[in-house]
Amino acid sequence: MRVTVDVKGETTHEIDLEELGTAGGSDGRAEPTYADLLGAVDLSPHEVSVLVDGRPVPEDQPVDSDEVTVLRLIKGGSA
Amino acid sequence: MTDLRLDATQLDRYSRHVIMDEVGPEGQKRLLEGSVLVVGAGGLGSPAIQYLAAAGVGRIGIVDDDVVERSNLQRQIVHGDGDVGRPKVDSAADYVAALNPDVDVETNELRLTADNVGNLVADYDVVLDASDNFATRYLLNDHCVLTETPLSHGAIYRFEGQVTTFTNERTGEDDPPCYRCIFPEAPEPGTVPDCATTGVLGVLPGTVGCIQATEVVKYLLGKGDPLEGRLLMYDAMDMSFEEVPVRPNPDCPVCGDDPEIESVSDVAYEGTCEISAD
Repeated sequence: MRVTVDVKGETTHEIDLEELGTAGGSDGRAEPTYADLLGAVDLSPHEVSVLVDGRPVPEDQPVDSDEVTVLRLIKGGSA
Repeated sequence: MTDLRLDATQLDRYSRHVIMDEVGPEGQKRLLEGSVLVVGAGGLGSPAIQYLAAAGVGRIGIVDDDVVERSNLQRQIVHGDGDVGRPKVDSAADYVAALNPDVDVETNELRLTADNVGNLVADYDVVLDASDNFATRYLLNDHCVLTETPLSHGAIYRFEGQVTTFTNERTGEDDPPCYRCIFPEAPEPGTVPDCATTGVLGVLPGTVGCIQATEVVKYLLGKGDPLEGRLLMYDAMDMSFEEVPVRPNPDCPVCGDDPEIESVSDVAYEGTCEISAD
């Protein structure tokens, strides 16, 4: 499955999940998680929230949507 | 509202409001009788305070425990060169006093905590989050959700801004999202940079703070559609705005179907602002 990763304020990426298979499953490959998806676009789960249909999804959950929105956590009010 | 009369000076000062059907003398009276607590008198707080005061919002509370530094002056436009070293709340209060004598400013030179947030927020109609740290943002969100206090949220980073409104009006049907619905927990300390380390375009907080002030004025007037369920993203470099739809999260720890947070004392407002183990 190809997933569109829309990093708001930055770039929209097209990620092929087949290329993201991670080691650990019985066949040596586990289903890619949203954290894996973030890793593919050089983002850490610590700095963003991943939304599917306007709601956040746990980073350790397998990807089950072909379209995700990534919002960067911003703390600044410019002290 | 018992007396809709504005005096001659007020009719003159607010004439561009009063002439509009959407405001009129009644709306202006609402503003004069309205109150807002601005948390943070820095980049976002400065323009917000300016426009709220100019609009005639009658009571403005300001919370900030910081003093003015010269490096603030590139963007924090209620403070001047002569204010360097002064508490920001005092400098901001002086600015408002010079701008509009109709406005009462209540200064709170302190940091918002779980112990004082209740007393600080209690007497205000609406809260404007212009803070610069996650602990304050999560604390304000949780308290405002639990007390159903409307909250304007703004945040900035380099050339980008995020702004939205959490009305916190909950009836059990089509309830709105809160900050934790979008960002359930704060990031680990040190993982997200701040303006001091990455820089910020000086005019950026002006744009975002003005949008927050707009939302507060609309709320006090009871007019227009709030920026609710929509996170407005502003990119100053592209000069573009984008709305990101956000929905209430049934798993939200504070406003979800089975909330874990029933009091701000349930949360350690440090680190990731997660629920305390005890």
